[in-house]
Amino acid sequence: MKRLLVTTAAALFAATAGLALATSAGAAECPSGEFCVWQDSDFGGQRANWSGDDGWWESWISDTDSSWANHGISGPGIKDHVKVYESAWQGGGMTICLAPGQEVGYNGAANDRGDSHIWSMGC
Amino acid sequence: MFRTTSRTRRTRRALVTAAAALLLSGCTAVGPDAPAAPGVPSGKAAQDALLKAAEHRLVVDCLSGRGLSLTSRPRAPDEERKLRAALFGAGPRELSVTLATGATVTAHEDGCVAGARQRLYGDQRRWFRAQVVVDNLRAEAQARMRADPAHRAALARWTRCVTPPDSPRPDRPDPAVATRCSRESGLDEVRERLEAAELATVRALRRDELTTYRQLRDRALRQAVELPAPTHPQKGTTLS
Repeated sequence: MKRLLVTTAAALFAATAGLALATSAGAAECPSGEFCVWQDSDFGGQRANWSGDDGWWESWISDTDSSWANHGISGPGIKDHVKVYESAWQGGGMTICLAPGQEVGYNGAANDRGDSHIWSMGC
Repeated sequence: MFRTTSRTRRTRRALVTAAAALLLSGCTAVGPDAPAAPGVPSGKAAQDALLKAAEHRLVVDCLSGRGLSLTSRPRAPDEERKLRAALFGAGPRELSVTLATGATVTAHEDGCVAGARQRLYGDQRRWFRAQVVVDNLRAEAQARMRADPAHRAALARWTRCVTPPDSPRPDRPDPAVATRCSRESGLDEVRERLEAAELATVRALRRDELTTYRQLRDRALRQAVELPAPTHPQKGTTLS
């Protein structure tokens, strides 16, 4: 189920085409149905995105996460909330739980702390 | 913009008595056993399912009205951008709540998801604030727990326990060793005790948000029950 994509093209396109900054317009550049984590705050830098769970984020994004977006799509029986944990395999405490459509551009407490996430029916 | 932190300061003085009252009354986080309105199921799981089905139905109708659907994947970049804006909104992020943990959670007031929640919950600003705060009560309690000296001390014992002699602290301790050390260092016991106490504290601190959460959720359940049957497309929508 795990699907992980590294996307730099979008960031590059935004820079070269002069699009509006992520902070000023529109939902974050995170595919519909997926959970996204960026290395930089305000949805900048390299992005990881998943449609499923990941018990241990790859090293380039684990403990370097700085912004998050849940673009999950709700539906009957669908796990659409995302819980982010500070240790692998959902250990060490939950730092944030996001419902579909919720985004966090920066979090002083959870910055560079995430190691795993899981989709769930609720928080 | 909402600021949870200012509320924290205002309510801190009432904390001790409120926490005691809450513990005595035996309140749960969201009161799933409250009497349900006619047609509303009584169990929390069934209520969640009803709300999700209703939100999904309203979102699909909304997308359909814009000539979009959730069905086709993969999507061309342009289609994906259009769908994302239709679902989650465009323009500035109007909804914002800063949690006590430091996270500022944001969302849009426009878009089909926001529209569905407005229809169900009646006041999406109040619902957004209540939902974000209540959804993160456990995260808030755990953040407070990690700041407790007893937890810091237990964590230090755990770290010494998982670190082999004459070696640096491992980034990823062996799971079996980590489990044994959690028990032997007392970390498990400290976490269990502190988390329960901190959860009671934050529930007392966020009593207003919990009340709003219950009220608006009850309203949404009644709305969900009364949604017209989905057999006929609503006026003005086009099926894709």
